[in-house]
Parts: sequence; structure tokens; C-alpha cells
Amino acid sequence: MAAEAAAAVPVVGATGEHVRRPYVYVFIILAVVTLIEVYVSTLDFPQAIDRISLLIVLATFKASLVAAYYMHLKYEPRWIMLIPFGALALVFVLVAALTASSVPVLPQP
Amino acid sequence: MAEARTRRYREPNVHHGSPWPFVIAIGAAVSYVGLIINLPLMVLGLVVFVSGAVGWLRDDLRTTPRAFYGPGTENLPVLGRVSARKLATWLFLATEVMFFSAIIGAAWTVRLRTTETTGLPWAYSGQILNVPGTAFVTFILICSSLTMVEALAAIERGDQKHMRYFLLATMLLGITFLAFQANEFYHLYFTDHLTFTSAPDGINANFGAAFFAQTGTHGAHVTAGVLALAYLNVKAWKGGFSKENHETVELVGLYWHFVDVVWIFLFTLVYLI
Repeated sequence: MAAEAAAAVPVVGATGEHVRRPYVYVFIILAVVTLIEVYVSTLDFPQAIDRISLLIVLATFKASLVAAYYMHLKYEPRWIMLIPFGALALVFVLVAALTASSVPVLPQP
Repeated sequence: MAEARTRRYREPNVHHGSPWPFVIAIGAAVSYVGLIINLPLMVLGLVVFVSGAVGWLRDDLRTTPRAFYGPGTENLPVLGRVSARKLATWLFLATEVMFFSAIIGAAWTVRLRTTETTGLPWAYSGQILNVPGTAFVTFILICSSLTMVEALAAIERGDQKHMRYFLLATMLLGITFLAFQANEFYHLYFTDHLTFTSAPDGINANFGAAFFAQTGTHGAHVTAGVLALAYLNVKAWKGGFSKENHETVELVGLYWHFVDVVWIFLFTLVYLI
């Protein structure tokens, strides 16, 4: 009885698809970008802010790949992105507030 | 559909209640209060918290695996393929995003403002921290994300053997990361004398506090992840997951990948900049 009821329910996770997802390619990209990051950190930019910005862009790229492929955001219903992006909106406010008066004193190389 | 769902709620053998979450909640509340007013109270709260978690996990591991966990875990059409448990996990991760943002934001505020007020500079990349070694453990953590997602992919195909091996590999990689971090902390603290209140080589005294707060909270999260993976491993080797019932693997995976995402930013913000 219970087994019948259970069988009638579409079970979580059993989506039935057998598509090959590009997990290994994502892994290779993550590893290569990590090496690039270490290399960039040793470069001497005219402005420290350029190096910092480039490193943050690279980190954001890596984090986006993990969220999209490994955390399956790419394969989930779109609305679920409202949850992490809602939190990120608050983070943006925090960062803006904290750095507003600090940007002129960014660390020098 | 609604009728069938109501009937399942009443099935006596579809057990979906447990007292342990209440114990865990009480333990958490007591430890938070203790953190503010009394440290022994905090320890008591933590003991209650851990007891609740252990009791809950023990009950779960003793339960016969089945295809259906109970109400709240099924796919409700209104949520579009997302179960209540996955939704709750994402909400939890959203709170974690804000938690880490607060810590990283505080560290950067200190870094940007005390450099000019105290005169001593912040440590530049590689001055005191081991960048190549940390790049290697960053790679280890990325490997562990790959093995985690491959474990999920394996059980989605019904491949028990590969799921077990990938879960074991993920846990071992996580332990490797923690071992490196413990070793790093030990050397920084005792050999290089980078403490919470002082720093060597003319480095700003706040550097140590900022460093240990950011990487320490992350390390605590990795520890929690390794414990969750230990539970997954035990359950997987007991045959507790199947092609039809493996959401726990996915949810622990979400947390594990999130911890990886946090490290991606910490590696950049703490070690490289």
C-alpha cells in the first residue's frame, strides 16, 4: 500500500535523464584558472587596483562555474536563482557601504 | 493527487517525525545564549546540539532504506521540480553567503582602514602565507568538488559502486585540505608568531586576526562537510541510497560545493591580493 503510493510519486532526483554533463571540462577550467590566478598575483601592474580587479573577476568566474554546473543551477528551474542572488544583492549593499570611504586607501603592491 | 498525499500522511509506517531536531534547536539556542553571557553554558549547549545530531543520524542509519522519505521530500508541482528539502538547503546557503560576507567584509574594512591609521602595512601576497602550497590545496578542494558531483551522477545512474568510491574520495580530499590547514595554522602561530593580536616582520597587527577569522570559519565549515560526508559514506556502504532515493547526496553536495565557492574567494582575497 505504502509502496504503491510511493511508486506513484515522482521521486526526487530521479529525473530520468542520462545526459553527460561537462563536469570534467569544468574541473579542467577551474584548475587552469587557478594557475592563472597565481601567475597574475605575481605580476606588477601599474595600479594595484587593476590586479585586484582582475583577480576578483577570475574568482567570480570560477565561483559561477561551480554554482552553474556542480551546484546544478543551470539545470534547475530559474526561480531558484532568486535565493542566492537575493543574498548576493544584500552582499553588494554591504560591500558598497564598507568600501565607500575606503577605496582611496587600497593597498599598494 | 491531494487525496493520495493525505493518505500518505496517515500511513503509520511512513515515519516522518523525529524528536531530535527539537533537541538540536534547543542546543543551538542555549549555545548562542551561552556565547553571549556564559561560556560553560555555551559548552553545555554544544553538547546538547551534538547529542541531538548524533541521535538523529543514528536513527536515520538504522532505518531501512526506502524510495520515499515522507511528506516534504516529494516533488510538489508548485515548486517546479524542487523539493522542500532542496529549497531549505538553498535558503540555508543564502544565510551562509551573508555570514561569510560579514566576516570577509569585516576583515577588508580592517585591512583598508588600519593601514593608514597604524602605519604598518598589510602583508603582501606571499610575504608570510604559503601561496604555492595553498594553490595546491585549492586544487585539492576543486578535485573534491568533481568527485562529489561524480558521486551524485553515479547514483543517478544507479551505480552504487562508483558512488561509494567517489564519496570516499571526496571525504579523503576534504581531510587532506583540513590537514594542510591545521599544519599551516600551527606553523604560522608557533613558528612565525602570527597571532590574533600580533604579527612579525613589521606586518600590521590586525593581519593575524583577519586571517584566522576568515580561514578558520571556512575550515570549520569544511570540518562540518567532512562529518556530513562521513555520514554519507556510512549510509552509502550500508546501501542506503538508490537510483530513486539519493537526495541527501545531492544536498550534502550543494553544501560541499558552496564551501568550495567560499574558498575560491578566500584564496583570492586572503592569499593572492
